[in-house]
Amino acid sequence: MTELLQNLIDGLGRGSIYALLALGIAVIFGVMHLLNFAHGELITISGYAAYAMFQADFSWYVVAPAIVLVSIAASLVIEWVAFSRVRGASDFTLLLTSFGIHFLVSSVFILYVSASKKQFPRPGWVTNTFAVGDLSIEVFDAVVIGVTLVTLLATVALLQRTMFGLALRGAAEDFDTARLMGVKSNSVIRGAFALSGFLAGIAGIFWLMRAGNTAPSAGISPMLSGVIAALIGGMGSMRGAVLGGFVLGLAEVMLRSRLPDGIAPLTDGVVFLMIALLFIFRPQGLITVARAERV
Amino acid sequence: MFPNFRRDVSFPIVGAVILFAVLVAAGLTYQAIIGGSAERLVTAMLIDAIIVVGIQIYIGNTGILSFGHVGIGAIAGYAFAVFAIVPERKARVLPDAPFGLTDISFSPTVAVIIAIALALAVAVIAGLGLARSGAESGAVSATVITLALLFVTHEVATNWNKLTGGERAGLSFSIGTTLQGRVAIYVTLLLAIVVARLYAQSRSGRLAVAAREDNLAARAMGINPLVQQMAALLISAVIVAIGASLRVYELGTIVPNLFFFDYTMLTLVMLIVGGRNSVSGAVLGVVVITLGRELSRRLGTQGFEFFGIGLDEAPLDWVFREGLPRVFLGLAMVGFMIKRPIGLINDWELDEWLYNKFGRGSDPLPKALPEVGEMTPVKLRASDIDVKFGGFQALDGAGIEAESGQIVGVIGPNGAGKTTFVNVITGMVPPTSGTFSIDGKDVTAVPTFKLARAGLVRTFQNLRLFGGLTVRENVEVSALVAAEHRQGRVLPDVDAMVAEAGLWEHRDRRASELDYGNSRRLELARAAALAPSFLLLDEPTSGMSDTESVTMIEQVRHMAATVGAGVIVIDHDLAFITGISDTITVLDQGAVVMSGTPDEVQADPRVQAAYLGSAAIT
Amino acid sequence: MLEVSGLTTKYGAISALRDASLSVGAGEVVGLIGPNGAGKTTLLGSIAGLLEPSSGKVTFEGVDVTKASPEALLRSGMALVPEHRRIFVDMTVEENLKIGGITRSGAERSESLKEMAELFPVLRDKWDTAAGFLSGGEAQQLAIARALMSKPKLLMMDEPSLGLAPILVDLVFDLIDQLRADGRTILVVEQNATRMLQAADRAYVLRSGEFVAEGTGTELLERSDLFDTFVGG
Repeated sequence: MTELLQNLIDGLGRGSIYALLALGIAVIFGVMHLLNFAHGELITISGYAAYAMFQADFSWYVVAPAIVLVSIAASLVIEWVAFSRVRGASDFTLLLTSFGIHFLVSSVFILYVSASKKQFPRPGWVTNTFAVGDLSIEVFDAVVIGVTLVTLLATVALLQRTMFGLALRGAAEDFDTARLMGVKSNSVIRGAFALSGFLAGIAGIFWLMRAGNTAPSAGISPMLSGVIAALIGGMGSMRGAVLGGFVLGLAEVMLRSRLPDGIAPLTDGVVFLMIALLFIFRPQGLITVARAERV
Repeated sequence: MFPNFRRDVSFPIVGAVILFAVLVAAGLTYQAIIGGSAERLVTAMLIDAIIVVGIQIYIGNTGILSFGHVGIGAIAGYAFAVFAIVPERKARVLPDAPFGLTDISFSPTVAVIIAIALALAVAVIAGLGLARSGAESGAVSATVITLALLFVTHEVATNWNKLTGGERAGLSFSIGTTLQGRVAIYVTLLLAIVVARLYAQSRSGRLAVAAREDNLAARAMGINPLVQQMAALLISAVIVAIGASLRVYELGTIVPNLFFFDYTMLTLVMLIVGGRNSVSGAVLGVVVITLGRELSRRLGTQGFEFFGIGLDEAPLDWVFREGLPRVFLGLAMVGFMIKRPIGLINDWELDEWLYNKFGRGSDPLPKALPEVGEMTPVKLRASDIDVKFGGFQALDGAGIEAESGQIVGVIGPNGAGKTTFVNVITGMVPPTSGTFSIDGKDVTAVPTFKLARAGLVRTFQNLRLFGGLTVRENVEVSALVAAEHRQGRVLPDVDAMVAEAGLWEHRDRRASELDYGNSRRLELARAAALAPSFLLLDEPTSGMSDTESVTMIEQVRHMAATVGAGVIVIDHDLAFITGISDTITVLDQGAVVMSGTPDEVQADPRVQAAYLGSAAIT
Repeated sequence: MLEVSGLTTKYGAISALRDASLSVGAGEVVGLIGPNGAGKTTLLGSIAGLLEPSSGKVTFEGVDVTKASPEALLRSGMALVPEHRRIFVDMTVEENLKIGGITRSGAERSESLKEMAELFPVLRDKWDTAAGFLSGGEAQQLAIARALMSKPKLLMMDEPSLGLAPILVDLVFDLIDQLRADGRTILVVEQNATRMLQAADRAYVLRSGEFVAEGTGTELLERSDLFDTFVGG
């Protein structure tokens, strides 16, 4: 029981970051049917920005908010430079464009910084733990879960209560009809990229705090986790993406602590294999977007 | 298996040999100019070409973007390395290999065969998964499944140290046991290009391409796209497996990153820059990208000096750096996707060009097709069809009876349930209840492609042609299906069918370039070439003027007669339907209002009411 | 108010609409009738900016809006109730209405929300229900209310009676009568010719992408050849 509870907390901590990443991917998929393989690059770019700021002796208190701003800006620039030029193109073109950007961003860092990892300090409290009964909880996990909850609530409020949120949801459901209502396609797509960048920025803070370094290929891992989580939830469903993130986090933690020693290093592989199987049996993901039949 | 031997076998082989010769000559010339230092580059290019051509077989013919082929390459590469490393060395690099593999070693040839077998096994499993997920051209979920394959392979390679040597060490051959000379590479490359071209021209390749162009229309023509996709996947997996083994053998080592994102990127860029729908394009892309990378590498390390020019490079310092080739690849991918996603030459093929120029000979106008006489009539019967969507009753006991040789009309105003009815009897929507049979055989709720094979072939209201294929190829696809599944019927000649539809002068144009009337006629010819028992035409005259409609229906009558098919016409236009039909079924509100002869239908007040709105009844 | 001249729109090679011209004056209810596939929806789509016409011109209040985007056209004062209603099924009734008024200020929007609640009592009862759970008639009313939220000078409706039971068809035409009494300008595409002609000041008859008749509602109702035009002939 204790072990299960421990797993649950660890899994929620890990899953929080995935949920934020997956939600950012689902938002973009909703408005332009683009599965964004370049999403992880927002963390790569933020990572280098953080590295530069640490070189200039800034502290995490300054760097953390800066990461969010950099991530939003990067998301908008990528949209402006590339994705705005392939709007409405085939899925094949959209997928390869985002894959190309993923590669291009990492290449630029190899060209102008270095192919090797750049280290920066991790905040001292990242590895601290505190005990609740028999449970040992990482301060880091507690903070991540807390901040993620606040971020998700803020995002829900944005989507439910603001006109921008309505426009975004409308565009995700039926882009043409939203335009007929006066929703500006440029604004809503840019808004979606800004929101996606914001979510990636929050996730990025914690991703980078835990890693304590960045590298040109740092975007692959968060991208894969985010994409997989979004797909577990059922592509296009924002609720599903968040759920998918937590499911992925929990699955990883559960497997890691239960797989026999010989296979434990293969946890990620096993998780992905399970996901592939899930797809084979439920191609639509866990959550089927429950739409009433249009008559 | 090949519709036209000269066009589909002889010329493709000649074309493949030329492509191979040009590629090798380009490499050797470069080597001669630069000298020995270019040798490895050229070898790598030839191996890349094998793998890219292998990937083209799948992506090009199915339109499904795959990241998984490089994962298949990794599996083959590791299998090859594990089995081919000589025993003495293996005892050192893999002392604890599982399954007693430390003590098993084979010759490189046997190791390649094992690699192929393993790659095939993985491809079968992945292919079944793709089929389950409903893979079709451009499908996002299919691409993600292939991505998962790539990632799982990489994870296993990185972490199963006892088998793979892990991330740092990898598996390396000792000097002297690595690949010497290029004979094996040349032979494989030539075979790969030949196989790729032959597959594209084969029955399976043509059906796969039809499904790539329009999955729904392909199924409506009796094609099961999943079978053809699997065939393409298996053939491409074999070639990728050999290519990957050669890559490992030549480098003398394998580490997980050798077959991961970077190599996926490289091979995909090569494929899309030339034109993913063409083998010639794949080969062209390999040359262009290899040259571009090499050039950017030289510029990055040596600057203009490489050209022997002493220009001032200071302003370009920020570009001429190491790592430039990667940026070049990224820019090529993004640039082509934005500016020219079809690649440099789209689907142009060298051998097709040669055939059209030299191989074709005279192409006389084919003789008119005779109408077939009396055949044993086939009956079609749908009865008591109900369809409910949630709480909405779209069809309420709808039905129809038809006999080959007759024209049966189904009419009803907008919203009467005509579209749902068509969807039910073409297998797109399963009925909630009711029965449907053709020639006494129950076909209720069978998939679309089986209905087409059973003899009911449809056209689409908003036209679904295989746009990238020529007029003749569109009809040929149906003929290929008919030859297998419609034996015992009168199978019309493809050329004669094209001529019969009045499309002879357009026979080599792409279907997407036809004007509306010709597109409609082509759709009709394509459906008739399947030798169906029944042709189902969904709003065949929508968008046509009255005179065009009359001509059209004459053509329908004639084409149906040439293959002995009955006709079911769904339309909203009462005058049009009464003019052509033997019997008419009127639908409104999802139910049959009445069935009868045209005169009976015209005289019935209920029909007028259904058409002009409820007020007219009072 | 709205002038359309020589409009031709193609889908690929298909000319779905050929050389269409029509005008709608302020305060008029104009009907556009014709059989399925006649090009009615294409015409509305071309006016509203969803489709790009290959030739011809659309002016709205004297301004050339042929190439304007749907979002710009809505801002200039025209709203379309699209075919099949296309309400946002994952959103509540209230949210659907709010999106309809997205271009207006918060105060104006609240004002209009109240008006719609009065005009459509059915919707008031389902204010917080997801629109996907509405019946066909309720959904149609929501689609019309949503379009009215932008306070359009010109309201266009595409087949508002499509797929509705006869009693609901009555309801839709009653609503059109009511909107006409309020002095609104309306362009309605309909297949239900008799009802449409009774409700319209003027009407155009479209067949196979071309206009074949034009006149006041009563004039056209008396035309004996109308049935043939409809069902073909």
